[in-house]
Amino acid sequence: MTEVKTIHIGLVGNPNSGKSSLFNYLTGLRQNVSNFPGVTVEKKTGDFYLDNGNMAEVIDLPGLYSLYPNSAEEKIVVNLLVAPNGLPKPDLILYVADATQLERHLLLATQIADYGYPLIFVLNMADLVEQNGGTISENALAGYLGVPVVKVSVRNGTNLNELTGLINKHTTREPVTSDRALYTMSDPEKGVADTLMGHLPVTNRYQALVIAHHHEWVEGLSTDDRLRISKLCVEAGFHSLKLQVRETLSRYDHYDEVMREVVKSNRRAQLTLTDKIDGVITHKFLGPLIFFIIMFFVFQAIYTWSAFPMDMIEMAFAKAGAWLQGLFPGMWWADLLANGILAGLGGVLVFVPQIAILFLLLSVLEESGYMSRVVFMFDSIMQKFGMNGRSMVALISSGACAIPAIMSTRTISSQKERLITILVSPLISCSARLPVYAVLVGFAVPDEKWLGLFNLQGMAFMGLYMLGIMGALAAALFFRFILRTTSGSYLMMELPDYKPPIWKNVFISVWEKVMSFVAGAGKIIMIISLVLWFLASFGPGDRMSKAEELVRAEALTLGTAEEETNHKVAAARLESSWIGHMGKVLEPTIRPLGFDWKIGIALITSFAAREVFVGTMATIYSIGATDDEKTIRERMAAEVWPGTSDKVYTRATSFALLVFYVFAMQCMSTLAIVRKETGTWKWPVVQFVFMGVLAYFGAMLVQVMVG
Amino acid sequence: MQTLATLRPGETGTIMLLDEGTYTCKLLNLGLLPKSRVTMIRRSPFGGAYYVKLERHQLAVREEEAGTIIIEKTK
Repeated sequence: MTEVKTIHIGLVGNPNSGKSSLFNYLTGLRQNVSNFPGVTVEKKTGDFYLDNGNMAEVIDLPGLYSLYPNSAEEKIVVNLLVAPNGLPKPDLILYVADATQLERHLLLATQIADYGYPLIFVLNMADLVEQNGGTISENALAGYLGVPVVKVSVRNGTNLNELTGLINKHTTREPVTSDRALYTMSDPEKGVADTLMGHLPVTNRYQALVIAHHHEWVEGLSTDDRLRISKLCVEAGFHSLKLQVRETLSRYDHYDEVMREVVKSNRRAQLTLTDKIDGVITHKFLGPLIFFIIMFFVFQAIYTWSAFPMDMIEMAFAKAGAWLQGLFPGMWWADLLANGILAGLGGVLVFVPQIAILFLLLSVLEESGYMSRVVFMFDSIMQKFGMNGRSMVALISSGACAIPAIMSTRTISSQKERLITILVSPLISCSARLPVYAVLVGFAVPDEKWLGLFNLQGMAFMGLYMLGIMGALAAALFFRFILRTTSGSYLMMELPDYKPPIWKNVFISVWEKVMSFVAGAGKIIMIISLVLWFLASFGPGDRMSKAEELVRAEALTLGTAEEETNHKVAAARLESSWIGHMGKVLEPTIRPLGFDWKIGIALITSFAAREVFVGTMATIYSIGATDDEKTIRERMAAEVWPGTSDKVYTRATSFALLVFYVFAMQCMSTLAIVRKETGTWKWPVVQFVFMGVLAYFGAMLVQVMVG
Repeated sequence: MQTLATLRPGETGTIMLLDEGTYTCKLLNLGLLPKSRVTMIRRSPFGGAYYVKLERHQLAVREEEAGTIIIEKTK
């Protein structure tokens, strides 16, 4: 058996080049999403086998325009490609370019070629040029770049065999290194680069030049190195910004000529489909209106489409639990299985339909090109709130989960705008709040149609989301005025042509999000579910059995019916369990909000993840009740304050609890990611406190006003 | 002096030069190059940003970003 070699491939290209589609094509579901060390920029890797038996490991690098980056995310990609830090670099780069935008996509390609990376130039969407009667000569392009060029259409799957063939060949021969440079340096550039070549682990002059430009932040240089390079640059009159512009313009100077040889296009300036669509979609009045209609539809869809599969999952787990307990009555392990493990598992899986639908719709909007129009339309409004048009996408993503949303703020160049977006994103209702909303809205709002058209519960959902959005904007405004201003901000971005989504990309995105929810949040929910079962089933000393004896003796003297006695026994046992004690410690603090100690328990456990609320309620009440087939809602409706006939879940309390969940920072994972993103504990603490204050007083206000 | 920001919707101009600043490279990367023709399509719904069209692609730029692009209006 021969040894399997692994070749490391980096996918590089401008945004919207079809890079990620190629990544999905090559690796399918053999993908792994992690973070770059120390930072939270998504690092997508995947692998596939080559025909020659070797393994190709592919890394899909975030979109980049040039080796001279502006945003933090772009810097991470450049750092990975150029840092002299001794970490392994890709063995081969697949450079993906959009043939319809070839001229602009050449810039980074020529920089990477000059850098000396073994390169395959993947000319994507060539079919679109040819459809319009144009021609593209890959030989002329290969001649200019000095690297192999392959025409493909990732969307239609054409010619991709040729590409994998080229990758195959690459592994069987040594990469050719060439000293040919496509860029002719000026004297200060030459001077600095030549001096550095002697000191840095670089193999050509252009590598030295790029490191000279980035010596302040690129990894792998000592403080001495940085100082020495700074001094050298000053002495040589090396003005980094000016020279970056010079290099960019000088490279572009050649492209006119190259393009004349490579592309014969007879596409005239005319009104394209994209122009026509944008005439409506980004229209002064229609644009924002359409946006809100789309968002309204998205939330209606989440609510109505997911109802059936959720009911099915709920029912299946309830039936299985009851069946198990019926089969082995009175056995503690059957109880653990039914009320601990099965209840926890059901609590995880029941949200999969909602998460899948949300990401299906969001990724269709993203893939089609609509999201960048949203950035364009709302940039100025977001700026008023101290944020950036890009924050809009982060805030929308927060509708699914604040964690990827906070990670996505890396594309915001201004530190202040980015920080504000990070701080307020968790106020947007995430999918983890959906289950809490679902239970409480289903409980407090009648399932009726308004005007015979819109579901009232759906409208209540919309209202909760609106409350979160308003809270986020108000908080943003607050932070805008108290945070000191720093670095610059920009919008400039492409508005790509509209195109139908590639369903494989959509599917993979949905799959990835669902799996990360099941594996990430699901694990926590499962563990909490088990811990809860334990805490609710056992108590300090013999207090639980004593409480039971007391209730039974009382029932005997009063002559209460057996079923009612069992109810009371269960309630008394729970009250004297570990968890009952924890809830009671909290009760005086949350009593003004109308919450009892059982809700207190749920608030505690929710800190692991908000969706735990429902699982907690299920566990507390299924242990407290004798009839396991009763749904949580019915059980909640029956709940009264002990010793009275006053309902715990009045409308005021249900709404107060909803408002509490809209505002409170009850997610350890989000706090952890904010710590990581901002590099200090200061901001997660600030976030936890301001959101807690908002939640507590918001809920109190509701209790006072509605109650 | 005319800049991209002074064009009215529907007007076209040719880029003469870019006022050098932090984001000059970024503007160049997006295809806002000297000698290229650019058309102002519309303002964003709430102002502050422009939708502009080059030969083969569309861009969104803020008012102050467009202000650094000096152009000659096509009559």
